[in-house]
Amino acid sequence: MAERDKRDVILQVKDLNVSFRTYGGIVRAVRGVTFDLRRGETVAIVGESGSGKSVTIKAIMGILPSNATIESGEILYGGMDLTKLTEEEFHNIRGKRIGLIFQDPLSALNPIMKVGNQIMEALILSQKMSKKAARQRALELMEAVGIPDVERRFNQYPFQFSGGMRQRIVIAIALAGDPEILICDEPTTALDVTVQARILELINKIKEERHLSVIFITHDLGVVATMADRVNVMYAGKIVETGTSEEVFFEPAHPYTWALLSSMPDLETKERLFSIPGTPPNMISPPPGDAFSVRNRYALRIDFEKEPPLFKITDTHYAATWLLHPKAPRVEMPEALKTRIERMRRRAVGNE
Amino acid sequence: MSDSTYLLEVKNLCRHFTSGRGKNKLVVKAVDNVSFGVKPAETFGLVGESGCGKTTLGRTIIRLYDPTSGQVFFNGREISGKMTGELRRYLTENIAMIFQDPIESLNPRMTVEEIIGEGLKVRGVKDKAEIRRRVVEMLKKVGLNEEHATRYPHEFSGGQRQRIGIARALIVQPKMIIADEPVSALDVSIQAQVINLLNDLKEEFGLTILFIAHNLSVVKYFSDRIGVMYYGRLVEVARGEDLYAKPLHPYTRALLSAIPEPNPLTARNKKRLDYDPERDHDYSREKPEMVEIEPEHFVYCSPSEAARYREICRSAVKAGD
Amino acid sequence: MIVDRNNLPEDIRDLPESCFEIVGSEDISDEPFKTEAIGFFKDAIYRLRKNKLSVIAFWLITAVIISAIIVPHLTGYSPTAQNLAYRNLPPKIPGLEKLGIADGTRILTNRPKASLSEFPEGSIIQIVREYKASNVDMVDVKVDYYKFVGVPEGEYHWMGTDYLGRDLCTRLFLGARISLLIAFFAVVANIIIGVVYGACAGYYGGRVDMILTHFAEILDGLPYLVVTILFMLLFGSGMFSIVLALTVTGWIGTARLVRAQFYRFKGREYVLAARTLGVRDRALIFRHILPNAIGPVITRAMISIPGAIFSESFLAYIGLGIKPPNPSIGVLLSDGQRVLLQYPYQTVFPAVLISVLMVSFNLFANGLRDALDPTQRGEI
Repeated sequence: MAERDKRDVILQVKDLNVSFRTYGGIVRAVRGVTFDLRRGETVAIVGESGSGKSVTIKAIMGILPSNATIESGEILYGGMDLTKLTEEEFHNIRGKRIGLIFQDPLSALNPIMKVGNQIMEALILSQKMSKKAARQRALELMEAVGIPDVERRFNQYPFQFSGGMRQRIVIAIALAGDPEILICDEPTTALDVTVQARILELINKIKEERHLSVIFITHDLGVVATMADRVNVMYAGKIVETGTSEEVFFEPAHPYTWALLSSMPDLETKERLFSIPGTPPNMISPPPGDAFSVRNRYALRIDFEKEPPLFKITDTHYAATWLLHPKAPRVEMPEALKTRIERMRRRAVGNE
Repeated sequence: MSDSTYLLEVKNLCRHFTSGRGKNKLVVKAVDNVSFGVKPAETFGLVGESGCGKTTLGRTIIRLYDPTSGQVFFNGREISGKMTGELRRYLTENIAMIFQDPIESLNPRMTVEEIIGEGLKVRGVKDKAEIRRRVVEMLKKVGLNEEHATRYPHEFSGGQRQRIGIARALIVQPKMIIADEPVSALDVSIQAQVINLLNDLKEEFGLTILFIAHNLSVVKYFSDRIGVMYYGRLVEVARGEDLYAKPLHPYTRALLSAIPEPNPLTARNKKRLDYDPERDHDYSREKPEMVEIEPEHFVYCSPSEAARYREICRSAVKAGD
Repeated sequence: MIVDRNNLPEDIRDLPESCFEIVGSEDISDEPFKTEAIGFFKDAIYRLRKNKLSVIAFWLITAVIISAIIVPHLTGYSPTAQNLAYRNLPPKIPGLEKLGIADGTRILTNRPKASLSEFPEGSIIQIVREYKASNVDMVDVKVDYYKFVGVPEGEYHWMGTDYLGRDLCTRLFLGARISLLIAFFAVVANIIIGVVYGACAGYYGGRVDMILTHFAEILDGLPYLVVTILFMLLFGSGMFSIVLALTVTGWIGTARLVRAQFYRFKGREYVLAARTLGVRDRALIFRHILPNAIGPVITRAMISIPGAIFSESFLAYIGLGIKPPNPSIGVLLSDGQRVLLQYPYQTVFPAVLISVLMVSFNLFANGLRDALDPTQRGEI
């Protein structure tokens, strides 16, 4: 089992540390992130703004801003360490082997260039296609991402498209290089729910068809449940819990995950919401110990002193909280969350 | 004139935006013939997707925009007529607004005390100590403290800023609050804080709230009754439970089916419904209007659709038995 | 670090029991601020002070302003008193004269050798060249020009004198004073008119905006020189007419900027919020919109000061300047260029001063723009 897993790992992030120089001081945005991506699976990274999730994928794509530095760590892909590549070498990876979909489709597209030409450009650059072949392929891609009336749409400009259609164009461009990894950075946050549902379906469909591996960044747990095989929960630059979707949603172990899961109402919620008090920490001087401790009502004394290691719960499920230490008092997840999980399980059974 | 069971009543309200002149004239019907009422101490949720006119509707009620036609009554008094100084005073004393963007909605050049105290100043409170006392009292109510009063907005986090916005709206003790997407720009962990706070304040002050949002789960959680908007029109109005248990209008059904459920076991197999007005309605012979299908459950539909919807409700009741 | 719960490393397994006591509580409030409250302008000044070039520029401007105020009184010369005997004296500065620069010497060329004996005693320093022309012995001779024309010992003209024997240093700084005053008044007038005009157009929009904008466009179409000459005819050539000439179309740019800023800010949610609270138009304009919109206006004012000085110089240069005998930098440049080849210092000093002012104001304005709106760094 473990042997097979290792062979299937396509991208591996190891103990990544990224910091930013700013006016106020050094911001330690990512602090020792480790995760891997296996062939054909979707890994979600969930976290609030400032948790370091976007910085992590920017580091993978080699598009960190100039005031950022990778302090340490490795990003292993295809026998290379992506943190050590030059800009020149990255051109062979970015867009060709790893595709990226941004949050805001409008700013990802050139406003004064026809969308068809933008897809063609991506094809010509990455696949060295002839113009004619590229045009043909661009039309196919547009059809594949569900754009109707492609011949006419090919010659239109981004402003003539709706938000959802623009995001489809961005996906088509990301697919132009025929990548094996697709990174989605909050691709549906700016979209309406009905459009979001369609885009998520599309991403799932092309993932199946092309056997893609997907890294999906979002703060929306509903989206995570729809997309992810495995989930990494990030807080203050660290992964605090990682596991399969079922494990993280039904047997969460970290108090932050508890709070995250029960802080948003679902359609059946009536009880008072379990809110997380306080505000996310300032990453210029992150608190010692567990960064979540100051907002955690189950904080132990040691949380303020020593960083918790990732405790292994099952082969796939890990959480960084001292509550998992054998000497720690038994703390159950909040009652509201328990009833909600119970309800979700029942629904799942009812649906079958 | 107006139905006294409602605190706020909107009747056939239209707000059109025009641009261009002559041949190029373009009319956008942001709010088109919308009617509904909000009862005292009730929370009325307004959902819809971006561009459906829900923000415009809220702003037209509080007269940030002038209505193109139609009427709005507050406590029996028309507030949609010609704007006079007296009406402006009446409006500002009774209705306050909470805005979406916690960064945008606070003047960066003013201190928190100036921001929150402004409403009092406008009402002629001149005594500085009195303003200070009431600002601090309000700050405490929203979970901040006295020390925050001298600070500028940029020093606060998003959730704190939104709480300042709430304090600003509530210090003038309005009867009604229009909350325009008050949590959608906030982080997940902060949204719950603000929702809980709004809930507490609603109880404490006996507020009537018009809650505008695009997140259906939040609206469902927070509201007693809900109106669904689609392209400037209200297509369905019902009590929260009814709307989610038996959505009738095809757009409401599509909207509900699109919510991503935070449940990995069901989320992927969820059946999504599409809504296409051209395909789903045939209004060539019959004209649609707001019809009360069941008590307090209104749908915008044609007579034949109404008959069908009634049938659906009846069979739902039977299935329930 | 990953650990297995059933097989913990020692240091983790042996943590004392006391570590595992729940100390978190239900009641967690917001963290108090650790820093002092910082207002926007305080913050802007802090950012400005981090920009070294701007700080240097600021001190240069201050130095020029102070000099313009006090130097004319310190030199001991009248800026207007003529002394034809002391015409075109070269610069002579105490202290520096021993080093061979600004020592009041000049090379007189093409002098008959015989005439050397008529030179005042001790004025000849060195004969540079001897040659014959038409059988006459000629010399180029370096003389102490101050002794040559009989200036009493101990009298210094730091920047020399002009063609009427007036002390250039006194005139230059007095000229700088007048130029700066003209620029200051012109810019202040431009800002006041521009802000009020632009604020009305931008805030009220619609028809008001249309009428105001069209009027400004018509005014902008008037040829500036013709208007200036008209003012000179009407009011005579003086500071007042120049300021008026600089104002008549100068405010239009400011008004456009303010109008655009108002369009940008009047739809902001905090302005809407104030409106829902019943705040009146005037307070909205001056309390809510203007303080937020003012950054680029201040920057523009700073940038337009050297522009105004330059315009004034241009007017002086084509003979429409300040009324003689009063100097301004433009008048001095205009006078200086007539004798540029013989007495280059008469142009160099005013030219250096105007350059320093222009560069300093621009650098300072750039720093100010970055400080007031840090998101626009490097853009125009």
